[in-house]
Amino acid sequence: MSDGIVKILDGNTFVVSDTRGDIEASATDPTGLFSYDTRFLSRWVLTVNGERMNPLSVDDLQYFETRFFLVPGTGTVYVDANLSVIRQRAVGNGFHEKLTILNHADEPVDLSVRLDAGCDFADLFEVKDALEKKGRYSARVKGDKLVLAYDRETFNRSTTISASESARIDKNGLTFKIRIGPHDEWSTQLDVVTALAGLTGRENQDPTGSARRMRRDLERWIDGAPRLESDSDPLKATYRRSLVDLAALRFSPAIAGGRSLPAAGLPWFMTMFGRDSIFTSLQALPFTSELAATTLRALGDWQGVGLDDFRDEDPGRILHEMRYGEMTAFEERPHSPYYGNADATPLYVVLLDEYERWTGDRALVRERELEARAALNWIDEYADIPGGTGYVWYQRRNEKTGLENQCWKDSWDSISYRDGRLPGFPRATCELQGYAYDAKLRGARLARLVWKDPAFADRLEKEAADLKRRFNRDFWVEDGGYFALSSNNGHLLWSGIVDKSKAKAVAGHLLGPRLFSGWGVRTLAEGEGRYNPIGYHVGTVWPFDNSFIAWGLRRYGFKEEAAVVAAGILDAAEFFEGRLPEAFGGYERSQTMYPVQYPTACSPQAWSTGTPLLLLRTMLGLEPQGEFLVIDPALPSAIGRLELLDIPGRWGRIDAFGRGRVEIDTKGR
Amino acid sequence: MSDSHNQTVAAFFDELGSRGHEPLLGKATGSARFDVVDSKRTERWLLTIDKGDIGVSRKNAAADCVLRSNKATFDGVVAGEVNVLAAVLRGAVAVQGDPKLLVLLQRLFPRPSGRRPRRRHSSTARRKQ
Repeated sequence: MSDGIVKILDGNTFVVSDTRGDIEASATDPTGLFSYDTRFLSRWVLTVNGERMNPLSVDDLQYFETRFFLVPGTGTVYVDANLSVIRQRAVGNGFHEKLTILNHADEPVDLSVRLDAGCDFADLFEVKDALEKKGRYSARVKGDKLVLAYDRETFNRSTTISASESARIDKNGLTFKIRIGPHDEWSTQLDVVTALAGLTGRENQDPTGSARRMRRDLERWIDGAPRLESDSDPLKATYRRSLVDLAALRFSPAIAGGRSLPAAGLPWFMTMFGRDSIFTSLQALPFTSELAATTLRALGDWQGVGLDDFRDEDPGRILHEMRYGEMTAFEERPHSPYYGNADATPLYVVLLDEYERWTGDRALVRERELEARAALNWIDEYADIPGGTGYVWYQRRNEKTGLENQCWKDSWDSISYRDGRLPGFPRATCELQGYAYDAKLRGARLARLVWKDPAFADRLEKEAADLKRRFNRDFWVEDGGYFALSSNNGHLLWSGIVDKSKAKAVAGHLLGPRLFSGWGVRTLAEGEGRYNPIGYHVGTVWPFDNSFIAWGLRRYGFKEEAAVVAAGILDAAEFFEGRLPEAFGGYERSQTMYPVQYPTACSPQAWSTGTPLLLLRTMLGLEPQGEFLVIDPALPSAIGRLELLDIPGRWGRIDAFGRGRVEIDTKGR
Repeated sequence: MSDSHNQTVAAFFDELGSRGHEPLLGKATGSARFDVVDSKRTERWLLTIDKGDIGVSRKNAAADCVLRSNKATFDGVVAGEVNVLAAVLRGAVAVQGDPKLLVLLQRLFPRPSGRRPRRRHSSTARRKQ
C-alpha cells in the first residue's frame, strides 16, 4: 500500500481504489473497476450520514480480496469512535462487497448510508491518452437494481449494481436508511456485475462462489509449485510473493478452454501479450509448465495467416497484443489482435523447445508443428524486410497507430546511435538476430526428434551456423569489444549466438561500471547519448531483462557473474516487499542505497514476477539434459543454504540443493 | 485462406466447401452455424469440421457455435473489410456457444489490404542496440 492505492485483481479484471475503498476516478487516472480493458465503475463512494470514511487499516486477504477497516469522519479533529465500518471486497465477474457497520454505543443509532455510483466506461487506451467518448450514457433504476450503461451503435457495456438489503435506488447510487441497536451490527452485500456483448468466457455469475473457487485454485497453485527452504528469509518471502502474483496475473481468455496464461501487468497491460507471455512462461518453466502450454496454444491459435497492414499481420507472425476495449472494437486501434513485434515469433519456437526439454510433452510439439514451421518461415520470408540480408528487421506498415519499435524496448526513443540520434527504418536490433539463431537451432532439434524431418533440421542448422558467422562479423564493434552498449548483449549470450572468443568481453561490459549499477544491468550504458537513469528503456534497470542476462551468463560459463546479477536484483526485491516492479532507476547503488522505482512502472507485472523464479534457476544451475536435471549451483554467499524441493519435469519430481559461496561486494563492484 | 475480395457470403461458403481439407483447421473438430440476417430473411450456413475436413450445408441445425450478424457486416467479413474479432467486440456479430471455434474460423476470413513488408536495398540502422 506504498502509494495509498489498493489493488485487487483476477486475470484481466481488477479494482483500484484508495485506502478507504472509495473510487473517484478522473479521466486520466487508472482507478476504478476494470474488466476487458474497459472501466466499469469510475465512482464508488461511501458516506455515513453525509460523512466520508477515515481509513484505519487495510488487510490484503488474497490477491483477489481485501478488507478495509474504517470509521466515519475525515477530519483529524473528530472521529466518531462509536461506529466502525468494514468493507470486504472480492473481484470476480465485477466485484462483490460486504459492507458491515458496527454500533459500539449503548444507544441505538439512525443512519443514512449512501453509496454513490457512476461510470465513464472508458477504454484503457482512453485513460492512458485522455480521449473523448463517442457513444451515449444511461443510468436506469430497474426494480431493485441500478443499471449503468454505455451504448455506441451495437456496442454495449453495462454495470448492474444491487444490494441484499433494501435500499432506495436512484440514478446516482443507493441509500440505506437504517437503525442499528446498541452494540449491534448491520450489513449488506453489494454486487457490482459487469456485462459486455461478445467474447467473455466468464460463465460464472456468482461472485461469492468465484471467491471460493479462487481460494481453492490458489492453494492448488501454491501446492503444485516446488517448495523453497533457505537461510534467507527475504528470499523465501520473495518466492512466495512471486508465486501468488503469478497466480493473480493468470488470465483465461475465452479461447484457452479454461486454462490460463500470464497477462502482462497492472494496470496498463492486463491482456494477452505475445512477448510477455512467452518470457514469463520461460521464467516459470522449472516451477510450472501450465503457463507455457497455454501460451503456446493461445498464441498458436492466433498466429497470423495473411497480410493486414492495419494490424501489421504477416503469415506466421505471433501476435503482439490483444485488446477488448471500445477503440479496438471500432477498429480505431489495431489490437484485434495487433501483430507488430519482431521477437515473439522466433521466441515462440524457443519456448516450444524449452517446454519439451522440461516436460517431455511431445504431443504438444506435434500439435503445434504447423505453427512452429510457419514461425520459422516468417523469419526468412517476412522479417528480412530489405531482402537478401539474412537478418530480422522491423518496420511498421500501420504508420498511424502501429508500433515504431517492435522489440522489447518498444518506446519511441529506445533505439539510438551512440550520440543519441535516432536511426531510420527498417531497423535490425542485435537481440532479434540472437532469437532467430536460437529458434533455428531449437527448431532443428524438434524437427529431428518429433517431426521426423531430418532434411528440414539440417537446413535450419546450416542457416543458424551461417547467421552466427555473419552476425559476429557484421554486428561486432571491434574497437569497443561489444555488440551494443546495452543490456541486450545479455540476451545475445542467452541465445548462444555469440562467438566463444567474444563472450568474455561481452560479459565484462555487462558487469562493468557503465552497464552494471550494483542492483542490475542498465538498459543503456551510462555515457551513451540518450542515457538517463530514469529513462524508460534508456538507463533504467529492468528485472526481467536481468534474469535473462543471468541465464545468458550461465550459458557461457560465467557462473559468478550470473550470481552477482541475481544478488543485485534479489536485494532490490527486498525494498519492494518481494514484488519487483517493471523497472527501477539506473542510479549507482552506492549513490542511492535503495532502488528508485520508475514513476509509472506497472506492478505487479508478469515478467518481473517471473524474475525471481528464473534467478533461482540460474543460481542453482538447473538445466534439463535428456531425461535428467543437471544441478550446478553458484549462489551468492548471503543466501546461505538453499533447497528447492519437488522440481517438476520429465524426471517426475527432483530436489536441488545449494550453498552460497560467491562473495558479492554490495558496493557494486 | 482466400485473397479474393468483394465476394458474396454464398460464394465464400461455396469455396470453403470445395476445399475438402483445410490445414489451418487441422486441430479443429466441431460445428459452427452462421446466421446472416437480411431484413426479414435469415440465411444460414452450417459448417462442420472434423480435424480440418470441412463440410458446408444450408441446414438449420444445432451447432457448437452460432454467429449471427446482419448481411452488411458479414459481407464485410468475407470481403476482408471487417475484422471479425472487432465486430464481435462491438456486438455487430453475436456469438453463442463455444467461442473457441471462432478463434480458428477467423483464420479463414480474408485480410483487408495485404501488401508484403517493403523490400528495398538500402540498409540503415543495424549496428545499434
